[in-house]
Amino acid sequence: MGTKNSIIYSIFVIVLIYTLSGCSNTDRLNREQPFERNDFIMGTIVSQRIYGKNAEKAAVKVVERLKEIEESMTVNAPGGEINKLNENSGKSKVILSSDSYHVLKTGVKYSVLTDGAFDVTIGPLVKLWGIYSEHPRIPAQAEIERVKELVDYRDIIFNEANRGVMLKKAGQMADLGGIAKGFGGDEAIRIYRDWGIKSAYVNLGGNIVALGNKPDGSKWRVGIQDPRGLQGAYIAIIPVADKTVVTSGDYERYFEEGGVRYHHILDPRSGYPARTKLISSTIIADKSIDADALSTSVFVMGLDKGMEFVEGIKGVEALFVDENRKIYVTDGLRKKVVFKGDESGYEYIEKR
Amino acid sequence: MNQGMNILKKGDIFLVIIVIAAALTALAFYNWSRDKHKEGSSAIVKQGDVIVHRINLNEIKEPYTFEIEGDYRLVVEVSNGSIRVLEADCPDRLCVKSGWLRYKGDIAVCLPNKTMIKLEGVNDSVDGISY
Repeated sequence: MGTKNSIIYSIFVIVLIYTLSGCSNTDRLNREQPFERNDFIMGTIVSQRIYGKNAEKAAVKVVERLKEIEESMTVNAPGGEINKLNENSGKSKVILSSDSYHVLKTGVKYSVLTDGAFDVTIGPLVKLWGIYSEHPRIPAQAEIERVKELVDYRDIIFNEANRGVMLKKAGQMADLGGIAKGFGGDEAIRIYRDWGIKSAYVNLGGNIVALGNKPDGSKWRVGIQDPRGLQGAYIAIIPVADKTVVTSGDYERYFEEGGVRYHHILDPRSGYPARTKLISSTIIADKSIDADALSTSVFVMGLDKGMEFVEGIKGVEALFVDENRKIYVTDGLRKKVVFKGDESGYEYIEKR
Repeated sequence: MNQGMNILKKGDIFLVIIVIAAALTALAFYNWSRDKHKEGSSAIVKQGDVIVHRINLNEIKEPYTFEIEGDYRLVVEVSNGSIRVLEADCPDRLCVKSGWLRYKGDIAVCLPNKTMIKLEGVNDSVDGISY
């Protein structure tokens, strides 16, 4: 036994240390550089992060597809099928593409499921409040009452055979703003799969959709925006794989008047921004179109009804934040969510 | 193994300890330098489809500001290791509310002006924010 053996022994120990420290595996697998791309589409920013071969090609296809969806479904720019449908309200039916037909139908599905807490015909109210305009304003009560009459998803007449659709009353407007981004996210994932991609992540203005795991096998870590913090600050992390995470909050688009916050999530039944003491609601689901509709729905329903509603849907989880900065989650999320702790200023309520 | 240990001479044990110490130091240094990397160094400023600025934040000696014109006007402040939108005359000012960008993956977006500032790279703590 001499110097030679002790050197061998040392090498063995060094290898052991490096292996146990865990830096080798994870690092090597994540060292593969993802392809990243950011684009302004659908009135928001779309960030893609894709691993593996064909990443760039797939990203381009996703951008093209999202632009196509935006053009046919927008109500904030001229042209497109939904504008045509709205212009012909009370007059004649319009033949829709299978995309628009499918998204509108899904919108009606959630309008029915939520008993009108979500309403795909909210268009006239959105326009009245000027939510997406330069100068949003509080309308007169009489105006709200009058316009509210036009909001009713039961007034959409569908002809399944030829995808002909008509809004019954003149002035009625479908608005896919609450679900089109969700549909876009699902389409992005479909395109990634078509290109053989196993690991990708896309963020459509806060709607997150994750394909597979990260290349090292770990889950994607999705931060939930602090509703009263800096943009980008988060209160919790939800690890996900093959899931979508969509959040609705009163902080995204709002104006204040007389100390009252008027935000962009309108309650179709009152005609006013939803006042339910919630300041944020997050949905975790398989399909982003579902999550998009549901996050708005439960925000309008409020904590109690929203929680009950989500617990009744298989495969869907939720996280709520109320105005007292208390956080509530569904049973299925309890073991998965990681909280930032008390220093964040939020309190996690485990049992209600 | 036990037998092996017994046969090791005093000098051998000393050598083993030194090599292990060196290994641990190297590992500590490696982790430290990796932590340093979490801070982003390259900021890109994109307006529409065009990258209008690419800034190496580590080379900034004196803080300075510059303006981005468009439908709205943004004032961007740059200092060593960080960048932020200082002022904006757009309606929602979400870009200003993003504060200082310091870490890889940090992002500030002005939708009305189609402007984005992002520190290149992937963030270690979160992959993205749902908002």
